[in-house]
Amino acid sequence: MRKPAKGGAVSSLRLSRRGRKDLLLAFLLLLPTIYILLKTFVSPIIESLVWSFYKYNLMDGSDVIWVGFRNYKQIFGLNEFWVSMENTAYFTVFTVGAELVFGFFSALLLNQMFGGRLFFRGIIIIPWAMLTLVNGLMWNWIYQPGYGGLTVILHKLGMLSANSNPIWLTNSFKIMTFASIADIWKMTPYMTLLLLAGLQSLPSSLYEAAVMDGAGFWKKIWHITLPQLKPAIIVAVVLRIIGAFRVYDILTVFSGDPTTSVSFLTYNYAFRYFYLGKASAMAWISTLFILALILVYIRMLKRNSELE
Amino acid sequence: MANHLGTNAAAPVIGTRRNSTIRSRLFKTASNELISPFYLWIGLILLTLFTLAPFVYLLLTSISPSIELLDGRLIPKSPTLDNYVRLFTGPTAASYISAIKNSVSVALWTTLLTIVLGVFAAYALAKIKFPFRTTALFAILAMQLLPSISIIVPMYIMMRNGIPVGIPFTGIVFFHTPPLLDTVAGLVVAYTTFSLPFAVWLMAGYFQTISKELEEAAYVDGNGRLGTMFRVVIPLAMPGIAATAIFTMLSAWDEFLFASAFTQTEAAKTLPVAIREFIGRHNLDWGLMTAGGFIASLPPVIISLFLYRYIVGGLSAGGVKE
Repeated sequence: MRKPAKGGAVSSLRLSRRGRKDLLLAFLLLLPTIYILLKTFVSPIIESLVWSFYKYNLMDGSDVIWVGFRNYKQIFGLNEFWVSMENTAYFTVFTVGAELVFGFFSALLLNQMFGGRLFFRGIIIIPWAMLTLVNGLMWNWIYQPGYGGLTVILHKLGMLSANSNPIWLTNSFKIMTFASIADIWKMTPYMTLLLLAGLQSLPSSLYEAAVMDGAGFWKKIWHITLPQLKPAIIVAVVLRIIGAFRVYDILTVFSGDPTTSVSFLTYNYAFRYFYLGKASAMAWISTLFILALILVYIRMLKRNSELE
Repeated sequence: MANHLGTNAAAPVIGTRRNSTIRSRLFKTASNELISPFYLWIGLILLTLFTLAPFVYLLLTSISPSIELLDGRLIPKSPTLDNYVRLFTGPTAASYISAIKNSVSVALWTTLLTIVLGVFAAYALAKIKFPFRTTALFAILAMQLLPSISIIVPMYIMMRNGIPVGIPFTGIVFFHTPPLLDTVAGLVVAYTTFSLPFAVWLMAGYFQTISKELEEAAYVDGNGRLGTMFRVVIPLAMPGIAATAIFTMLSAWDEFLFASAFTQTEAAKTLPVAIREFIGRHNLDWGLMTAGGFIASLPPVIISLFLYRYIVGGLSAGGVKE
């Protein structure tokens, strides 16, 4: 930017001569990616929108007929759909909230200077790197009644009397809660690393003035850390909501009940009953919600880059 | 805040007794830090405990004999590798081994395809000025953030019927792939759909950090656009490309939704699908299940620990949703 004007003039002259060639080159370089994404992304997502207005039942071989908004109307009248929405909302709010709180304090710890910091920063990546399905399997084992880790430890600590042996995953609320705990364990490190990156970009002299004022821990956090970290927090939270709302994999380990999440219900409509029209409509409801979040995210990114 | 400087500055109280020096050192927060050493280490111990305990428990379970597990022992009295031996030689060994093979080939092919195609697109988006460039970049970001469920239904039909490859809108078809349901190739196509926009977004970000001056120098040396790209931009962006490759590989290794919808047999079932089936199949045989889970998690965990720097760099570059 601050280079002498001469260099800039030469390069802009060069560019204008090369302008047309450049445009062609850009097109050629982008062509394979554009082709693949048109074929496997853009066209399916449009097809799915179109199918959501049709009765398209793959199993009984009936005709594909235009039904307008009937699929959507039926879905909104469906009790299962609202139950699945509620469960998804509970899972999303609970996991993202807890991950934010734990992730924030972990990031504060790991941002301090101390010996062996790299070791502690390294181990938190282990839960994040584990397979989602293995994480589900592992927590399912922990929650086993009788001899699973949770029951055994509660017995040993005396928090559970020796003759009581609860079954943890009895109703859908408990299933959602325990599945959320599994997800919180796995995804808190992700939040930690995102917030840690945010903290590292703040100046190290941040708290010095506040110390002079005699501000304590909570005051410093409330008046200095949180406001400074706000852009990073919003970005991390939006990304996590996008990730949590689509939850499917971990729930299949804990429960065969498709109403535990919208994705699960959509999957079941598509691949168990093969009601492709209805499944497409349901998928589009999720798509619209996530698209709205993506717009928020892009707006945040633009604003953050303008600040820099 | 600066105008308050010095008004309230209290001189640090220096303890006379040894006891109070230790105490003040433990509880005193350095001026540029937030947390005093005492609470810092309490926090770190709790963090380590909660982070590692479930993982260590998984490992300990996998080396415990079944009889001890059903007794509720946390730490095995007589550790054994029997579960691992059964995993690779028992009646279900064949399906587990084929799942490993499928996972490896899906992850490698997806990564190769994604990086080779993505590098060119990312270079164009980062380094060549053309109309609607920013819009294209954000469209690519949006694609990558959408859930797989958005496109899974039409994609299933596409996989079932095979994919025609030709010139769009003209009806010209060069060739028509065979049906791709229950094949590794089908999964590679499905995974590339999401990893390609992700990779393009991430790599374009890395390419943008490479200074214009270096490129100008390459032009002056008589390199064309492509020469500059291969001799200057790509070598300098290698850490970013490596990070992108790692993320692509890890997400392909972890993917479950497409894999469970598009695969039926050992020909294409990947590890997550195999792990999911464990739960019904090996009822109560937790030793075997945890052994299978541990082996499946080992590659991503080791890769992430060794390539920690790349992972963190990629995460903070944004757009990694999981």
